[in-house]
Amino acid sequence: MDAFIDWIYTTRLSWFVNSYPWVWPTLESLHFCALTVLAGTVGLFDLRVLGLVKGITPSALHATLRWGVVAFAVSAITGVMFISGASEQYFYNDAFRLKVVFLVLMGANAALFYWREFAGIQALGPRDDAPRSAKLIATASLVFLVGVMLCGRMLTFFRPPFFH
Amino acid sequence: MMAFFVNVEQTALSVWVRESPSLLAFPFILFLHTLGLAMLAGLNVGLDAWLLGRRKLPTFELANIYRVMWLGFGINALSGLVLLAAYPAKALTNWVFFAKMLFIAIAVWVLQRLKGELAVAGGTLERDVSPRARRLAFTSLLLWTATIFAGRLLAYTHHILLASERL
Repeated sequence: MDAFIDWIYTTRLSWFVNSYPWVWPTLESLHFCALTVLAGTVGLFDLRVLGLVKGITPSALHATLRWGVVAFAVSAITGVMFISGASEQYFYNDAFRLKVVFLVLMGANAALFYWREFAGIQALGPRDDAPRSAKLIATASLVFLVGVMLCGRMLTFFRPPFFH
Repeated sequence: MMAFFVNVEQTALSVWVRESPSLLAFPFILFLHTLGLAMLAGLNVGLDAWLLGRRKLPTFELANIYRVMWLGFGINALSGLVLLAAYPAKALTNWVFFAKMLFIAIAVWVLQRLKGELAVAGGTLERDVSPRARRLAFTSLLLWTATIFAGRLLAYTHHILLASERL
């Protein structure tokens, strides 16, 4: 792992992140903006599937998820830049490991939704209830999203002692 | 003013938030602030993006979405007050903090105006998205972006961390 981290620090990306004082705060702001868009678009769709929002078809809200995909890409890019700038902070951090687990669960949950539920959900009318299985997936989606946020926030407090 | 900040910093709540090793102190309150952001700004931005991507506006029930957003606002207001109590001088001697408060106030005002545009009294017919609704949604996106940038930059732009350290 140490050799891998040493290699990361030789990359131009790492050099860029660590060479300008404005880069890290800007990346943090973009990461939070992306989180907000992701939580909002996914959350809005999940609330409709759960039945907390009615009077609109899930398919009408689903179109907004493309912004969630863009937001996830921005999160991933800024996340990789964070790692390139301060690798030890992440690779030796239990909160980061748990965050990755939640991200994988989010992805698997989304895949399950599109595999098993999407076609049925797209056919729902404005006042139709989603099936229980879809509601379970929507609940899991929100739980995993909160898990990602919780672990992301805890990163700073689980830094390895040697990291400064 | 510095004496006031010192008094606040010496309250039990302020000391607990700053100095407690418990994850339920500063770390958890920060998490609540992020959760509130996702609920209020997140859903607002989700609505903005949805509205900007449509030509016609269906009638749908907004009450529950607004309830979740107001719950997020409440969580953020409370967690924000506790964070302010922990480091009053850090925030209140930094103009970025006041800019953030201004952005939030305008964003919440815009959110209420947007509700008027989205809500239709009765009927289920679709209607065109008005230019005013689009302007409100776009303004809302800009305001929440500015709020998030200001919030993050607070950590990098303060001149004083604790008033008690300067006395």
